[in-house]
Amino acid sequence: MIQLKNLGFRYSGAERLALDGIDLTVEDGAFLGLIGSSGAGKSTLCYALSGIVPHHYRGDFYGEARIEGMDSAEHRPEELSRVLGCVFQDIDGQMVASVVEDEILFGLENFGVPRDEIEGRVTQALAAAGISELRGRLISELSGGQRQKVAIAAITALRPKIIVLDEPTGELDPRSSRRVFETLKELNEKHGVTIIVVEQKIMLLCEFAKRLAVMEEGRLILEGEVPAVLQSAGRLEAAGVNIPRVTTLARALREEGLYGGKLPLNLDEGEAMMREVLRPC
Amino acid sequence: MKGILDYVPGSSFLHRLNPLVKLLLAFVLCAACFVTGNHFIVLGVIALNLALALSAGILGRALRMLRSLLKLSALLFLVQIFFVREGATLLALPLGICITDLGLSFSLLFVLRLLAAALPLGLMLSVTQTSDIPNVLVRRLGLPYQYAFVLGTAIRFIPLFAQEMAGIMEAQTARGVEFDTGNFFKKVALLLPLCAPLLVSSVRRIEGGAISAELRGFYLRGRKSGYKDYPFALRDLCALLGGACALALAVLF
Repeated sequence: MIQLKNLGFRYSGAERLALDGIDLTVEDGAFLGLIGSSGAGKSTLCYALSGIVPHHYRGDFYGEARIEGMDSAEHRPEELSRVLGCVFQDIDGQMVASVVEDEILFGLENFGVPRDEIEGRVTQALAAAGISELRGRLISELSGGQRQKVAIAAITALRPKIIVLDEPTGELDPRSSRRVFETLKELNEKHGVTIIVVEQKIMLLCEFAKRLAVMEEGRLILEGEVPAVLQSAGRLEAAGVNIPRVTTLARALREEGLYGGKLPLNLDEGEAMMREVLRPC
Repeated sequence: MKGILDYVPGSSFLHRLNPLVKLLLAFVLCAACFVTGNHFIVLGVIALNLALALSAGILGRALRMLRSLLKLSALLFLVQIFFVREGATLLALPLGICITDLGLSFSLLFVLRLLAAALPLGLMLSVTQTSDIPNVLVRRLGLPYQYAFVLGTAIRFIPLFAQEMAGIMEAQTARGVEFDTGNFFKKVALLLPLCAPLLVSSVRRIEGGAISAELRGFYLRGRKSGYKDYPFALRDLCALLGGACALALAVLF
């Protein structure tokens, strides 16, 4: 479980707070989508969860972040990384090896995973990310999307209890983006891994996430189940967040008194809504 | 795009050697160039390097390395030849400058040594996965992993920085900067301002790598944590014997 209490952080030399009094509890097995405009503090929150803030990036830190009971201010990132894995935005910067297989092995070797278990984990992580055929390839020869999948596989191979991903589909095409989310869903539902994902592809996020948290200027302004958060369309738009078009359409239909059902979050639900609206009386 | 020092996958004799043996072999061949004063031995080391490159399927790359070193070698040759004044004068030039037989011989040896010593390291990096170097140093020599990792990362970053620089140059070319000028000094003047963005992006990349490594248990690693074993085989012994013979020849002649 993750518990954030009045968490705040100001980067050294910065004028405004990057995180401003965040209170948030993420239960075990949750799938939380984190949204907000650029500069809202989403990446800094990911850093705070992993312990990079305050141990690596210096500044004014206050409040408390407890990851599986460990206070992130007291425990170093390598201790937190036993339970929490992170994939950050800058994929190239995260690579520590030249070959895909070595990139996956790096964490497994560091954590002293037994040798007879390593092979299975590498194979499984590569297969789950859909990149089994890239195992012996040089990372420098891969496309941005393939590198992104390698970074995700390198973390999933470690099987942490919590995975935090900062825009994991930033360089992926729609099909690959969906596959990444399907992998995350499988980890979440079959293995009980807690997933926290920062994502700009709001429709995709709303389809897979169970809960949404919205950030604006370092503050957490909304948090709850996806349909409930999407009800606050005005606040979301003011915070610079797009909401799925089918949801916008449903809200417009509601205002006109043409639809009274639940808010659709994906195209299938949108289609069902339109069938209901257009059904002859 | 492959850099000149990137790993080239393969299954040749050189590829299959133990990484530690490859490292030792490279250093032995380098040492052979410096313990001998015989031009032909140094030329022999260059030929041996090219033969090894051919056997590993990277002759083209070895020749490209030689070609890229030739410009620097020519510059060093010119500097050396005018500064060595001992020996019989072969050519007297104005302002008291002269070329002597010893100067010519020393400059030639200097340049040949440069070429012969650079090739083995380049070849070794081309046939060895970067992560194998720190891993074998930890497992076989007991070097602390943190130091070995730094060495491996430094080697890995050489082609990455070259790519980064190429990217920055492409961006500048698109804005109208002409890097393909024949004037050496003008080219240096154009390249110097690019050092700042290269430094910034390099520091950012290093910082990202450090964070990523820390978040994947970098400090928890022990000597026995490695997954891969690096056993010695008969071919490793043969390679070491070959290297020892080359060194012995260099010492004797």
